[in-house]
Amino acid sequence: MAALVRAGFSLAKNAIFSTSIRSISTTKHLNIKEIRTSLEGSNIIIEGVTVPSPRTELLIRPEKLNTLIENKSTESIEKPPCYMCSLGLDVKHTDVLILSQFVRSDGCMLPRRITGLCRRQQKKIGKMVTMAQKAGLMINLTPAYSKKDPKKRWNYKKFNTYFDETTIFMKRIPKPLDRFKR
Amino acid sequence: MSAAKRVQQWATFARTWHVFDCKWQDPYESANIIKKYLMGMHKPIYHPMNDCGDVVVCINSREIALRGDDWRKRAYFHHTGYPGGASWTLAWELHNKDPTMIIKKAVYRSMKGNLQRRHTMERLFIYPEEKVPEDIMQNVTNQIRQIRQVPTRLDHIPEEVVKNYPKVMEYPEDYILK
Repeated sequence: MAALVRAGFSLAKNAIFSTSIRSISTTKHLNIKEIRTSLEGSNIIIEGVTVPSPRTELLIRPEKLNTLIENKSTESIEKPPCYMCSLGLDVKHTDVLILSQFVRSDGCMLPRRITGLCRRQQKKIGKMVTMAQKAGLMINLTPAYSKKDPKKRWNYKKFNTYFDETTIFMKRIPKPLDRFKR
Repeated sequence: MSAAKRVQQWATFARTWHVFDCKWQDPYESANIIKKYLMGMHKPIYHPMNDCGDVVVCINSREIALRGDDWRKRAYFHHTGYPGGASWTLAWELHNKDPTMIIKKAVYRSMKGNLQRRHTMERLFIYPEEKVPEDIMQNVTNQIRQIRQVPTRLDHIPEEVVKNYPKVMEYPEDYILK
C-alpha cells in the first residue's frame, strides 16, 4: 500500500515539476577517462580527461591466437565463453602480473560489469586476488592506511602463508583431522 | 676400479652435507624430503640397520610458509606431567618463541618412532636466518631442491616489466581510472 502511495506521489510530482534530467549522448565514449584535480590560484579545477587505454596494444585475445580457433570451432553454443575461459590459462594466486590487472589502485577487485568475466571466473579471480593480498604479494596495491610490509602485520598475519587454489570452489574445506573420522 | 666408480664409492659411504633453503616452503611437505636425506634413503645401499644417513642444514627457517589458516588453527600439545599441566600452543605462537621448532617437530614426526630417531635428529641443523657458522658451512657440498617456487612480490618486479606484460583484461570504453 505504502509503495503504491509513493509511486502515485512521485508520478504526480513529475507531472507538475517536469524537471527530469536526461543524460543523452549521441556519440559513444571512445576512450577511458581520468579525473584530474589541479589548484589554480584560489580555484580548484576538476576536469575529466579522455585518455587512450594503455592496454589495447598488449591485449591478448583468443581470436588473435590462431591455434585456439581451430580447436574450438563450435558455433552451436548458445553463450560464447568469456575471454578468461577461452584462453584456458592456469592462473595461480602467485601470478601477480595477471591478477593485478583486475584490481583498482587500492587493491579492490573490480566488479563484473567492468571485468566482463563469467560468474565462475569472477569468483575464482576474486578469491585469488584475496589470496595474493593475504600472502602479501601485492602490497603496492593496497589502501593508503594499510601496513605495507607483511612482516609488520599483526600476530599470525606476519608469517608467510601460501594457498591452495583447489579449495576455491569447495563447499567446505576439509580439515586435517577428517581422515580419522568414520 | 675406474676413477668414476671410486668416487661413487666414496660418495656412497661418506656423510654428505646438504643444505636446504626453507624460504616459502611448507615444513610438513619438506619434512618428507629432509627425512630421506637424514636417514640415507636416497642411497642404493640403504638399510635401516646400516648407518648411512647424511647431514642436512636447514636455513631461513623463520621464512617457512604454512597453508591457508594453519598459522592460527594448528596447535602443538605439551604436557608437563603434573595434573592440569596440559597446554596447547598455536603454530604462530610457537614460531614467535622459537622459529626453528616447527620444522624440527615436522621432521621428527615424519619419521617412525624407534630408537634410531633421536640419533638421526642429531644430524639435522636448523638456522632461522641465512647466517650459518663457518665450520658447518664449509662441509656443505650439496643443495636439496625446493618443493615450492618462491613467489615474487609485485613491488619487486621492475615497473617496465609490469607495464609491458601482456594484458588479459581491457577496460570498458567509458571506464574512469581510479
